[in-house]
Amino acid sequence: MQEQTIIPTKAESERFDLLIEAGRGAKNYWRDLWRYRELFYFLAWRDILVRYKQTAIGIAWALVRPFLTMLVFTFIFSRVAKLPAPGSVPYALLVFAAMLPWQFFSTALSEASNSLIGNSNLISKVYFPRLIVPAGSVITSFVDFLITLGLMAGMMVWYGFLPDWRLLTLPLFMALAFGSAFGAGLWLCALNVRYRDFRYIVPFIVQFGLYLSPVGFSSNIVPEGMRLIYALNPMVGVIDGFRWALLRGQSPLAGYALIASILVTSVLCLSGIWYFRRTEKTFADII
Amino acid sequence: MRTSSEENRMSDVVIRAEALGKRYRISHRRERRADGSPYDSSPKHEDFWALRDVSFEVKQGEALGIIGRNGAGKSTLLKLLSRITEPTEGRARIRGRVASLLEVGTGFHPELTGRENVYLNGSILGMSKAEIRKKFDEIVSFAEIAQFLDTPVKRYSSGMYVRLAFSVAAHVEPEILVVDEVLAVGDVAFQRKCMDYMKRLARNGITIILVSHDLFAVKTMCRRVLALSAGRLKFDGLPAEGIDLYEKDSRLEADPWAAGIIGEDIDQWPIIIRFVELLDADGSPRTVYDYGERMRVRIHYESRKPVRHPNFYLGIRRPDNVVCCSYSAARDGVTVPSLDGSGVIELLTPPLRLVSDLYSTYAGVWDREFKNLYCGQIGPNFHVRDEVLNQHFGVFHVPGEWRWGVNGHKNVGQTLVRPAAGAD
Repeated sequence: MQEQTIIPTKAESERFDLLIEAGRGAKNYWRDLWRYRELFYFLAWRDILVRYKQTAIGIAWALVRPFLTMLVFTFIFSRVAKLPAPGSVPYALLVFAAMLPWQFFSTALSEASNSLIGNSNLISKVYFPRLIVPAGSVITSFVDFLITLGLMAGMMVWYGFLPDWRLLTLPLFMALAFGSAFGAGLWLCALNVRYRDFRYIVPFIVQFGLYLSPVGFSSNIVPEGMRLIYALNPMVGVIDGFRWALLRGQSPLAGYALIASILVTSVLCLSGIWYFRRTEKTFADII
Repeated sequence: MRTSSEENRMSDVVIRAEALGKRYRISHRRERRADGSPYDSSPKHEDFWALRDVSFEVKQGEALGIIGRNGAGKSTLLKLLSRITEPTEGRARIRGRVASLLEVGTGFHPELTGRENVYLNGSILGMSKAEIRKKFDEIVSFAEIAQFLDTPVKRYSSGMYVRLAFSVAAHVEPEILVVDEVLAVGDVAFQRKCMDYMKRLARNGITIILVSHDLFAVKTMCRRVLALSAGRLKFDGLPAEGIDLYEKDSRLEADPWAAGIIGEDIDQWPIIIRFVELLDADGSPRTVYDYGERMRVRIHYESRKPVRHPNFYLGIRRPDNVVCCSYSAARDGVTVPSLDGSGVIELLTPPLRLVSDLYSTYAGVWDREFKNLYCGQIGPNFHVRDEVLNQHFGVFHVPGEWRWGVNGHKNVGQTLVRPAAGAD
């Protein structure tokens, strides 16, 4: 066996473009992320392709699912619970405008949380920036969301209730919904790798969140004193924003709710990326 | 003869590993205490170094083989080099794009078609869509699966699966190609094709790192090997020497079961197995056998004191340590009154009926009555290959005799070897 002492000179170490070392979370990370950008697309494409294989009605499920949920909600909240709709807005539209972002948020969150575990064979056998996996599932859910948005457009035409200029602000609320699902998804999927408990916690968050968000009701039924705490749920600002933008402002959007939503989403995203980056090196060892 | 520019290129170091180490922490379940108190309060952790203090350099265009027993740290080393996990200590510098094939068809989705999987797998391995499109025909023709392109890969045979997977990875055009024990599943012709392809890559300046149990493949592919043992680098040099060392390393190990009976210290045993050769029926070295092939085993022994009625045995174990079968010289009526000095005893097995898997061997010497054990050591590993038969079929697969009874038919109970042509 040969003994070699290796003392790399500076010039020599510059010849190498990759340094693998403990604690050195690759300075090439963001560059790699860019190089692997098409993988976002391919993973999302795979998930969409696979999701509707061996189903009889295929992609139609993406329409049927939210539509049925909307019917149920409209029925329960307007007929059984008898909650009033503000202004001249048809109750179905009020519910559907909220269903859109909520359905996206809840599927994106659940899918992202399970995404790493679901791809454990990839994680333990190939290198790529791991961030792509949860991001890919959020993107997949976003595609579903866009389909449902088309359904919403159809319903608005049906009810003869067309949006005004406020529609132009919709992308802002879409970005907020995306950001909050992504940020929370990052936390949950990284935690899920180590603590599988989160597999059981996430469905609970989603279920509970539905009642904490103004999906089946309008935000103004929340007691005055509770509203600020209530708005810490980032989906409150998002859902109220969707209603405001789609329903000609007849459903109110409180400024504090919007600001709270932006703040909470930013915190979720930044801390999510931080935590994810901090733990991703160990994913392959513990998954 | 190499030209001077080629000489220059060859001297470029593309991988430099410096004192690489990887520690895993194994936590044990807390055990019940003897005094009745339910659990020991402190959780038990044990550090396990899968790899430690491994340094080496690889030059551009080199074909490097990595050999070592199971658990020697080969796969850990590959995982570090392909950035799947990060080292606990030490560092590695790499120049160029690395493509690694650590498992057959990583990222293949069973529901997707061959075509769809080429795109998916290619992008997972770091190819762009445009690159994949450009290489697509080449990948498919190399894999020889053109007519199954639009079949979901869940309907592929394991051979087709491997071919497609290898083909995608090989066309990534990496500067460094890392291949773990994956080719053993394909058929011999395809293995040869892959070897030729890798040799061609190496000639074009692509660096190849190959891990294999198939020492023959390592010997033909690589001009240099690293031998790992218990996480440490034991040898770095010419394949022939490294393989010798590896074989020595494996032949010396006592079978833990035998060590429990006759003691850990092999030097105190009356007889030892120096090494075990696995050959085909014609006597050439083999590590991969097809289902139904016969295996010729040569056991080289050395006795230190006379042994009475030596009864050589050879056993075969599955990776989960289930003993699948064993052969005993005395059972088969071969025995001598006493044995002294060194020599070789050869066994030709009946056609192997084991299902496709990786097997380990163990060999040793009992006395004629299976009362005294003189020695027991772990021999080399081998693969059995079959496109269909796997563990779902059990340990063995032996063809049966079938009879077909159709109610009301006069031929009930007749043995049907196969449906007679034109019998209807």
